[in-house]
Amino acid sequence: MHLELGKIKITDIQFGDLTKVEAGVLYVNKQELIDLIMEDDHIKGVSVELARPGEEVRITPVKDVIEPRVKVEGPGGIFPGVLNKVTTVGSGRTHVLSGAAVVTCGKIVGFQEGIIDMTGPGADYTPFSKLNNVCLVIEATEGLNQYEYEAAARMAGLKAASYLGQIGKDIQPDEIKVYETKPLLEQAVEYPNLPKVGYVYMLQTQGLLHDTYVYGVDAKKIVPTILYPTEIMDGAILSGNCVSACDKNTTYHHLNNPIIHDLYERHGKDINFMGIIITNENVYLADKERSSNWTAKFTKYLGLDGAIISQEGFGNPDTDLIMNCKKIEDEGVKTVIVTDEYAGRDGASQSLADADPKADAVVTGGNANEVIVLPPMKKVIGTLDYIDKIAGGFDGSLRPDGSIEAEIQVITGATNELGFNKMSAITY
Amino acid sequence: MVKEIERAGIPVVHICTVVPISLTVGANRIVPAIAIPYPLGDPTLEPTEEKKLRRKLVEKALKSLQTEVDGQTVFED
Repeated sequence: MHLELGKIKITDIQFGDLTKVEAGVLYVNKQELIDLIMEDDHIKGVSVELARPGEEVRITPVKDVIEPRVKVEGPGGIFPGVLNKVTTVGSGRTHVLSGAAVVTCGKIVGFQEGIIDMTGPGADYTPFSKLNNVCLVIEATEGLNQYEYEAAARMAGLKAASYLGQIGKDIQPDEIKVYETKPLLEQAVEYPNLPKVGYVYMLQTQGLLHDTYVYGVDAKKIVPTILYPTEIMDGAILSGNCVSACDKNTTYHHLNNPIIHDLYERHGKDINFMGIIITNENVYLADKERSSNWTAKFTKYLGLDGAIISQEGFGNPDTDLIMNCKKIEDEGVKTVIVTDEYAGRDGASQSLADADPKADAVVTGGNANEVIVLPPMKKVIGTLDYIDKIAGGFDGSLRPDGSIEAEIQVITGATNELGFNKMSAITY
Repeated sequence: MVKEIERAGIPVVHICTVVPISLTVGANRIVPAIAIPYPLGDPTLEPTEEKKLRRKLVEKALKSLQTEVDGQTVFED
């Protein structure tokens, strides 16, 4: 599968009469976007606001972040099985409005939405402070239950990202990158002397508003399977989850998964990147056993020498992570796990709920329990009503002057377990 | 909690869904539960069936408490 990914660089964002990109500026027709979102009768109202890097703006409670993309050539459309027909994507050409994003926010559905500060110390902890964000503050119709509201907000974000992505269809990208993964047997012989490396991509599927969708299927209902890496760049996987803000993979993270990009960077140089095994993190022990058995089986079946395993969320998924690691190692395939830590505010507690001596190569995205003070911002997009309630907040987190004292868990993407951030640790 | 109560001389059975974590933390008697969101029940069952399931789990747990163990033991069916 061969995909050209064309990046159109967006350096600013403005409202305008026509939705378009001109000289790197994304202009958004506000009313047109509102009309599109209001097509859904589950939504009572939406306000569209812009947030640029460096502005004194706080966005909260953030649900998802989505990058605008469009298929230019090749089968299918972005977000197959959800916004477009369930065609297999990942080949041809796709354009990206790089540097822009849609952020969905509004009243919480659970307690695990997050904060994005566009400036100040909090901005350093989230990659989304560097983007030009179109924020949708969504208000649900009365009587809508939490999961209906989550679904409506999720769809609104995807529709908005697709609407903005469409305008990139006829624009010449600033940069084009080519990604290719061949069918298994061809890929294996292309670089016969390089170690064969695969990626085990764990998806959050605990249910109760902790879900991920693959081609429109709720991933708790899948058994592990194999994907071409480029399928993910076209939106084969998207976030429906509201797990802790710091280590949820937003749809933006999935589209730009840095493990996939880094593996491609080294593909043909010092490794042979064979492909991706996706798996889930379910709440039944039998499911955990079955899924980890299958990921281990696939790593062997694909002839891998090594595998990178990334986790999403924390707590009982730590067991899925360790089961994957142990069973894959038992197949004779070397592993590196990518996770984050809940080691207490002083960092002295055990970092994961489960452990094994075979997990001897670990990359961490940081300690989610670390406490930070976020100064007040001039403008809030959304509401501060839930700061004390979201995971990582506590009674009194929101101070009278609008500043916030909370664990970095509250910051969207702060300890991302795909490594989509700056924090890590080295043991000497 | 399991370990501290046992340290005080009272035997403990840990009913839990994620048995590997229970093994990692060092529980001696482990009874596998149903699922993380509903360890001691199953909302997909009819109420009468669910009651039987719940009773069975509790009885299994009580039985395990009366069973001598030599190291960590998982009480499967």
